[in-house]
Amino acid sequence: MKVNPQSFFNFCANHATLLRALAERGGEISEAEAVRLIRMNPSAAEEIPETAWRRLRELQILVPTEPGSEVFFMADPVSRLLTYLFNEANPATPEMIRGYVLSLETTGKRLARALDEEDVQEAKLAFEEITQTLRRIHADLEETQHAILGEVARYKTERTRVSVREKYRRIVHWMERYVEPMIEIVRADGPLRAAFDEAERLLHRAREEALFTDHPALTRNLRFLRLVAAHALRVFTQCRKEIQPLYESLRRSSFIAEGAARALEKLQTDGLSKWGNEYLIEVAALRFQNVPSNAAIALTLRRVIEHPPEPPPVLQLSTEKADPGALVRLMWLDSLPDLVRRDLPVGDLLGWLVTKHPSPNISDLLAGFSRLVFHREFNAAFSDQTPRAYAAQDGEIEASPVTLISV
Amino acid sequence: MIDLAHLASIFDRLKRGYHLGPDDEPEFSALCGGRSDEYTAFFAAIGLKLVRHEREFFYFEPDNPETVPDTLPRIAIFSYIMIDHAANQGRPIEEFIFGQNFLVTALPHFTFDRYTALLRQVDVHDMPDLKTLLKHMERIGWVKWLGEDEFRFLRPFHRVFSKCLEIVNSTQAAAKQAAENPGPPTTDGDQHSATPAATDE
Repeated sequence: MKVNPQSFFNFCANHATLLRALAERGGEISEAEAVRLIRMNPSAAEEIPETAWRRLRELQILVPTEPGSEVFFMADPVSRLLTYLFNEANPATPEMIRGYVLSLETTGKRLARALDEEDVQEAKLAFEEITQTLRRIHADLEETQHAILGEVARYKTERTRVSVREKYRRIVHWMERYVEPMIEIVRADGPLRAAFDEAERLLHRAREEALFTDHPALTRNLRFLRLVAAHALRVFTQCRKEIQPLYESLRRSSFIAEGAARALEKLQTDGLSKWGNEYLIEVAALRFQNVPSNAAIALTLRRVIEHPPEPPPVLQLSTEKADPGALVRLMWLDSLPDLVRRDLPVGDLLGWLVTKHPSPNISDLLAGFSRLVFHREFNAAFSDQTPRAYAAQDGEIEASPVTLISV
Repeated sequence: MIDLAHLASIFDRLKRGYHLGPDDEPEFSALCGGRSDEYTAFFAAIGLKLVRHEREFFYFEPDNPETVPDTLPRIAIFSYIMIDHAANQGRPIEEFIFGQNFLVTALPHFTFDRYTALLRQVDVHDMPDLKTLLKHMERIGWVKWLGEDEFRFLRPFHRVFSKCLEIVNSTQAAAKQAAENPGPPTTDGDQHSATPAATDE
């Protein structure tokens, strides 16, 4: 159904803010949402929202997503017109530019064939197609640059609360979706430049072979080719320069935020006892233990300095009369291994000890017995022989004989 | 004879965990000057590692004490909450933290139940507790009081950012390792830990 242009533009004139709101919202929209926007953006002419809603559909500004659908979207021609009017830009995707490159290649082949066959009409058509493609590429590059710069500016000035990690994801999307692939396409050794070089070669050939006589148009196209090639690379290099600092900053912020979020999440789920030291930021703290203070050192020095002199103590160095019993016992015990080594094997260890002690008592006998039985150089063997009595100064020991041999 | 400038005051502050940044003159300039290596060598000789952070501030490398002071988890949780809040504001985090002064009463730490519950785990219950915590942070050179209720973060707070990046790196490394060496299939029915072979089934 054709739309009356006058009605269309009259409506647009009275509903500019509403159209802008609809364009900015984008995507699919329900009646309720559309009416809400209409109420928020009333027209200059007094009318009820239902009228505006009806006119939006009649003028095919909003069209249903499918016949009979209750969901609508802004008609593509209207959307493009508004983009143009509001000086907004949509970025060209790398696929679109690749499409243009492919189109140039195909048209180039047609032009080459036309030149070979000297088909003037076909050469003219191919030439016009090349011109049109170049214009589209130029326009799309301009628009993409505009869109990217707009996006960067929005990031810098955006006041709405969008988390850093969300912003980072968006900027990564721009980098990965538009800037980097586009640079790959338009760089000096990329497919766009190759297609342009081929087109330029064919245009030169067309001029040389005088098949196409519109020389000013040919010159214009050759100039345009070079301009677009240089412009494309410059545009996307500039875009990368614009977006790179933002990307780096958001990347770092995003990682910092992720680290903090992980630490807090771990604490929330596992509790403090299992949180672990890896989440702590440790700080040095030197702890000195038992270090005297300056005052204590000064006091000690003063005491030393001020201490009254005393004569040195006199040691009594006379020889003791009585034998030190404990020392004699210790020496006897220490001498036993050497003594017994000479007599090995010994058939009756306790009997041997009795003969070797100058005045045996039970305690010394048992101490000597233990010393030899557990000595690492000897092995003791206990037997079931008839017990014997061993006399000591302070009593008697009854035991079966124990044999001692060397290891 | 050691003739390093301000050595005594530098040592006295660093040994207590203080971080020397541009706000700490003349010690900071002494450390940044041409004799930086001599300070490092001097402290190394007595068993202390002087760290010069990439963001230009100094501190002694902490050893790993068996007992962790109560203040460390408190400072860590406080800082992570601060970053979490900053991230939600949508501005680059460093710009948010260092680009403004903060009022204790306007801090986000008790604005969400989640934050409050996390702080409760380290016995931080109210604004006076937060103030005490901030005073601890002042003692290690991370914040500077500008008034009764107002403070700002100092450059050494970058240590928290470094820790956050370290956490992410170690998480990514662990995830990478897990992807390269998938473990045996679990038998407890955990769908997430299923090996690729089990998933293929």
